[in-house]
Amino acid sequence: MWPVIVSGLAVGASYATTALAYNLMFSTSKVLSVTTGQIVMLGAVAGAWLMNSLGWPALLALPGAILVGAAFGALTEWVAVRRVLKRSDEHLWILSTLALATMTQQAVALVWGTEPRPFPRLLPQSFEAGIADQKFWLPIGVMIAAVAALEGFYRRTMWGKLFQATSEDPFAAEARGVDTGRVRMLSYVLAGALGGLSGFAAGELTFAYFALGLSMTLNGFIAIAVGGLGSSVGAVAGGLALGLLGAFATYLFGGAFQQTIAVGALMVVLLIRPEGLFGARGMRAV
Amino acid sequence: MRFLGGLGATLALAALPLAGVNTYQLHVASLIAVYWILIAGLNLVVGYSGQISIGHVGLLAIGAYVFAALAGTHDVNSWLALIASGLAGGLCGLLLGLPSLRLPGFYFAMATLAFSLIVGELALGLGDLTGGGVGLAVPGFPPPFASPAGFYELSLALAALTTWLTWNVARQLWGRALLAVRDSPVAAAGAAISVYRMKLTVFVFSGVTAGVAGGLFASLQSYITPDTFAFDIGMFFFVCIIIGGRGGVVGPLLGTVVLTLLPEVVAPLARLGNFFYGLLLLAVVLLMPEGIGPLLAAIAARLTRRGRPESRVVSPDLDRLRAALADEPR
Repeated sequence: MWPVIVSGLAVGASYATTALAYNLMFSTSKVLSVTTGQIVMLGAVAGAWLMNSLGWPALLALPGAILVGAAFGALTEWVAVRRVLKRSDEHLWILSTLALATMTQQAVALVWGTEPRPFPRLLPQSFEAGIADQKFWLPIGVMIAAVAALEGFYRRTMWGKLFQATSEDPFAAEARGVDTGRVRMLSYVLAGALGGLSGFAAGELTFAYFALGLSMTLNGFIAIAVGGLGSSVGAVAGGLALGLLGAFATYLFGGAFQQTIAVGALMVVLLIRPEGLFGARGMRAV
Repeated sequence: MRFLGGLGATLALAALPLAGVNTYQLHVASLIAVYWILIAGLNLVVGYSGQISIGHVGLLAIGAYVFAALAGTHDVNSWLALIASGLAGGLCGLLLGLPSLRLPGFYFAMATLAFSLIVGELALGLGDLTGGGVGLAVPGFPPPFASPAGFYELSLALAALTTWLTWNVARQLWGRALLAVRDSPVAAAGAAISVYRMKLTVFVFSGVTAGVAGGLFASLQSYITPDTFAFDIGMFFFVCIIIGGRGGVVGPLLGTVVLTLLPEVVAPLARLGNFFYGLLLLAVVLLMPEGIGPLLAAIAARLTRRGRPESRVVSPDLDRLRAALADEPR
């Protein structure tokens, strides 16, 4: 039973960090970017490429993967978000981020190949460690560190306060002299760095695989939809619950219907509590 | 007038097999017609009511598998199987739409994406029904629709019928209501339009067309596996509509024809696949979010009017203005 729980928690932790990246970008721009999962995928692929093909040590490849993620976050903001937000059409950002995500996934498939490639061992450890294996504990550790760092950032730093001000009311923030464009760019870079780190840490579990992006986009989204948009606690709870559900579904029924069960659970939660478990109730439409 | 034009164009296209077109070209032409049956229905959902469904490939797959299982495995009459495909598509559209159409835009897009992934997973998992990864052989239609030319005429006729149906929906009160739902759900609800029921009705209709298209698609491909219904095709349907322009029928039709032909004519594009569709989508969203439809309309207006529209300089009548100001009590 323990291996099922631990592997579920580990997969759930990578969903949760993806959900945190979603939240970061959403807070400043009110955009749910389809590229979020692709950032995680790029982190894993960049890490595997730097270490396997270029022979970099893990300590150097880690900042490399984070940089790649941050750069892609900035690219998302620059290409797919900034221009579209200027227009008033509500749905255009779905299309632009979807387009960028599709291009990224296909580009990686063409250059890197469509087979999952192994991710090297980050820390020296025996392969017989069982549930103490690093591939389970690295993603969980990164998730805990990310939540702690984000909470500290929001509560204790000036930039964190600026994020919150922009999130609450961009017009009021601008009137008080906040450069909301800069805040938004920074939030995308931060989310990119977080996604890159998450992809790197979970690489041994997920492998470096081009289709990882789409599944992370979907599962990270399910985590925030279940947990509640904009809440870190919700992202963690939603991600872990989803990971555990997937692990137990695989344990009981085999792996064939994992997606079906996850989405079924999402629909049930959304029908009963549309704002998610920890989300704030939505505003009235009028 | 437009109806007659459409009828004429359909008849002209129906004469295509007589013009000495080879089998491969007929196959591509049939493929365009089959895709258009789905896209015409999807156009009402995406272009008119503004719901971003990227998962219609799931409904296509359901129609295809129902047709293959009935007509292939159980030897049911092909026509009955095709009707069953349409019904199954409509039913699954209803089941998908009931919960997900209540959700806001991005949530709905993700729900349809998840739906298409689920269908792929089930197609692999339920091996007894779908043949699993090995796939299923699919029979054709009875003569005279057994030959490539016959099949082409059949899909063309169904495509024309679907076009006529969606065209009617689009230009009547219904189409206006859908556009209102797209542009402002709140204002639409204020004008006594039942937003949710409106969305659900067109979504179920698009499910039926997707199911019928799926049955035809399976028959055209003559062998289907879960890989046939990759996420790429869902993206392709979607891009056809966005490029053609939302809120029109002609634009998406042109988009379908051009985007189906392009990879056949320019081989390297087929290898790029989704990258190319993504690039097109990004370019359209950033450069001309209205699509090519309005652009074409503007060109057509130019051509029919022959020459520039009369320009008139509007200048203020200063004397009258001064007189009016002088009359103003101080």
